[in-house]
Amino acid sequence: MTAGTSAAAPRQSLRADDDPQAALRTQPVKIAVGLVGMILTVWALGNLFLAFGFYPEKFGSKIVIGLLAIVAGVGGAAVIFYFLNMFVEGLPARLSEGLIPYAFILPGFALVALMLIYPTFQTINYSFANSDSTAYVGLQNYRTIFGDSEFWSSIVNNVLWLVIVPAVVVAFGVVVAVLSDKLSANGEKFAKSLIFLPMAISSVSAVSIWALVYSYNNPGQAQTGLLNAIWTSLGGDPQTWLQISTAKLNSILLMVILIWLQAGFAMVLLSSAIKGVPEDTLEAARIDGAGEFQIFWQVVIPQIKGTIITVFVTVFITVLKIFDIVYVSTNGQYGTNVIANLFFNKLFAASEAGQATAIVVVLLLAVTPLIWYQIKHFRDEEANR
Amino acid sequence: MSGIPRRALQAGGVVGIATLVLAGCLQNPNASGGSGGAGGGGTIVDGGSADNDKKVTILGAFGGDEEKNFNASLAEFEKSSGIDVQYTSDQDFTTTIKQKVGAGDSPDIGLFPQPGGLLEFAAQKKVEPIDTFLDYDKLQGTLLTGFLDAGRYKGRVYGAPMRNAVKSIVWYPKAAYEKGGYNKAPGSIQQLQTDVADKIAAAGITPWCIGWESAQATGWVGTDWVEELMLRMYGPDVYDDWTSHRIPFNDDRVVKALDEAAKFNKDPKMVLGGTKGVLTTAFGNAMTPAFANPPRCMLHRQGNFATTFYPKNVQADLDNQVGIYVFPKFEGGYDGQAILGGGDLAGLFNGNDPDAKKVMEFLTSDKFGGPWAKAGGWLSPHKTFDTSNYPNETTKKIAEIANRASVLRFDGSDLMPKSIGSDVFWKEMVKWEGGQSSKQTADNIEAAWPKS
Repeated sequence: MTAGTSAAAPRQSLRADDDPQAALRTQPVKIAVGLVGMILTVWALGNLFLAFGFYPEKFGSKIVIGLLAIVAGVGGAAVIFYFLNMFVEGLPARLSEGLIPYAFILPGFALVALMLIYPTFQTINYSFANSDSTAYVGLQNYRTIFGDSEFWSSIVNNVLWLVIVPAVVVAFGVVVAVLSDKLSANGEKFAKSLIFLPMAISSVSAVSIWALVYSYNNPGQAQTGLLNAIWTSLGGDPQTWLQISTAKLNSILLMVILIWLQAGFAMVLLSSAIKGVPEDTLEAARIDGAGEFQIFWQVVIPQIKGTIITVFVTVFITVLKIFDIVYVSTNGQYGTNVIANLFFNKLFAASEAGQATAIVVVLLLAVTPLIWYQIKHFRDEEANR
Repeated sequence: MSGIPRRALQAGGVVGIATLVLAGCLQNPNASGGSGGAGGGGTIVDGGSADNDKKVTILGAFGGDEEKNFNASLAEFEKSSGIDVQYTSDQDFTTTIKQKVGAGDSPDIGLFPQPGGLLEFAAQKKVEPIDTFLDYDKLQGTLLTGFLDAGRYKGRVYGAPMRNAVKSIVWYPKAAYEKGGYNKAPGSIQQLQTDVADKIAAAGITPWCIGWESAQATGWVGTDWVEELMLRMYGPDVYDDWTSHRIPFNDDRVVKALDEAAKFNKDPKMVLGGTKGVLTTAFGNAMTPAFANPPRCMLHRQGNFATTFYPKNVQADLDNQVGIYVFPKFEGGYDGQAILGGGDLAGLFNGNDPDAKKVMEFLTSDKFGGPWAKAGGWLSPHKTFDTSNYPNETTKKIAEIANRASVLRFDGSDLMPKSIGSDVFWKEMVKWEGGQSSKQTADNIEAAWPKS
């Protein structure tokens, strides 16, 4: 608070010089109209949306409701901001100058608080309660999940995902970006589009596609799975690939799906970073007699390091939350479980809300330092620009 | 840099304060919706829509064609009684009904596909016991033996069945089976093994067609096998003890039932594709190889709904293509013929509405269901239902199997706590099929059983 007012002070004194009376003047009419307008709008909107829920038959069809909701939602927000603005302008100028930015982020912040921050704390709260969140059980949930071998195997798998996927995605992205940079203009466009294409596919569809690669038919039948078709043509017996947990093979095969999905994203960002490397630095290195590999490692890489870290951290956070690929393919069986899937099953299949929230809290704690690092890194990047 | 510890401290403070503020904000353990009018401690449950308005709301899980057939079955009743029945289907019935009842917005009648949800409401006194508005003894007399027990909570019955499903059926491809001359009515599981399965194996065909794969629910077919064997080897009393956890899950008898199930499900000479095949074959496709020429497997144990997954040409000519017999009793086990089944139970939320009671009476009587039975895919839970309504001989035979059974028990995994019945039990069965021992499997499930 103190920082805010002291920052506003010099501006306010400037303003006071222009119009000495503005700083003192309060406009009660504006304040009253603004306040009443806001309250009325919120009340009217609230009633309208409740009516959508309770008396849908009064509106005719769902399309009418949908259109009305869009109009009322967008228009209502505009009206609220209009009255909010009027209200703040009615205050004495020295106050309104300082308040305006806060007033305008307030609705947004309130929504974030309602949808994100409140649930977060409620989740932490519920993690100390029983399976239907009706009574506190202390640390029992944490004791249960830490004593559960499935939890630890999920942690191990998550760590494996985290170690392997972001690194491979970044490496693959850099390689493709560098190589495609050497192609002709059309060749580059084609190659990049092809690798970027999977980005447009949802994880669930991706798993369905890869299910065709990994599928198994009984020996003696035609193998419709690509991997088994290759494997049997080389003389092997058909394998149920996603059930082989030796050396975590099945987990790794699932990781391949995510790598396939994410490589395009890494490539696009890294490619533009590589194109942004100034030509003269490369030329200077060539004149000094550096080989192409040396140039790549010692000139290009240091200059795109920022982008590499951004891509790495983004993919890292995606992987931390990995759920859909595992849920759709194996639902965590055969030793492929991950934290998010374990949580989902605890909550929805087993109705153990306490344990489920405890698992999420552990996941939240694991993600927090990373998000902090990403924000810090982002700030540093901005500062260097 | 000195700002960071301070900021961290602030953040920590905010987290601490917010958690303290929320501490104590839990859900109300006895949230009671719509029971305001219950008055002075009577047993009348007063949820649902307005009373005496000739309108009755029903919520159920089935939609599509089944919804159409359900409405068709009610059309005549609606005309004669003047009551307007409004059925709403919800794919996610189990969750929706909980929300609606919790919010005081319950339907007049709920059609529960699994007894577990109904019993939960019975415990919370949210659903009316049927003896207060239906003729219990008459129902007991016409229903399949043991059906009412599925809706029993602390001695009183809270739901009446309106649909029956029979799981204990062995299906076979008729032509090939008859050509092989195998026994068409084995009297025991042992006879099924020696007189049928072994002979089929000797003819060079793997006898059993079994598929467990069912996306996120993979494993339920396995739990059905264990339930069938528990029921046959030790009888309905031990079965009830087992599903209600009066005996531990890792009881020796359960382990033995698992071992017995292994003879069908884990022996590569007995089941097509061995354990790998079982785990990767979708349950709906399991029987498909039996219709190949020559068949690649012959025997398939699955409920009456299995027909909907058969190839189109088989479905069109069901009576000539497939034959059935009951999954027989276990020699040295329970004496009578037991049947594993399931069905929809109707529960009344509005005990004050005479119209809703009339609808319940009709729904749970043997008069209900003619048009639905004719359309196929529906079995009446009543022995006295007119079987000429069924569309083909196979369905009539299934109804006969159910009528002749000396006892019927509900799918046990539906009766167990949700964390076991639709999670751990499935997953441990998958591990068991993948090589885990029966003892270990039973121990793991027992260890996961919710304590309280």
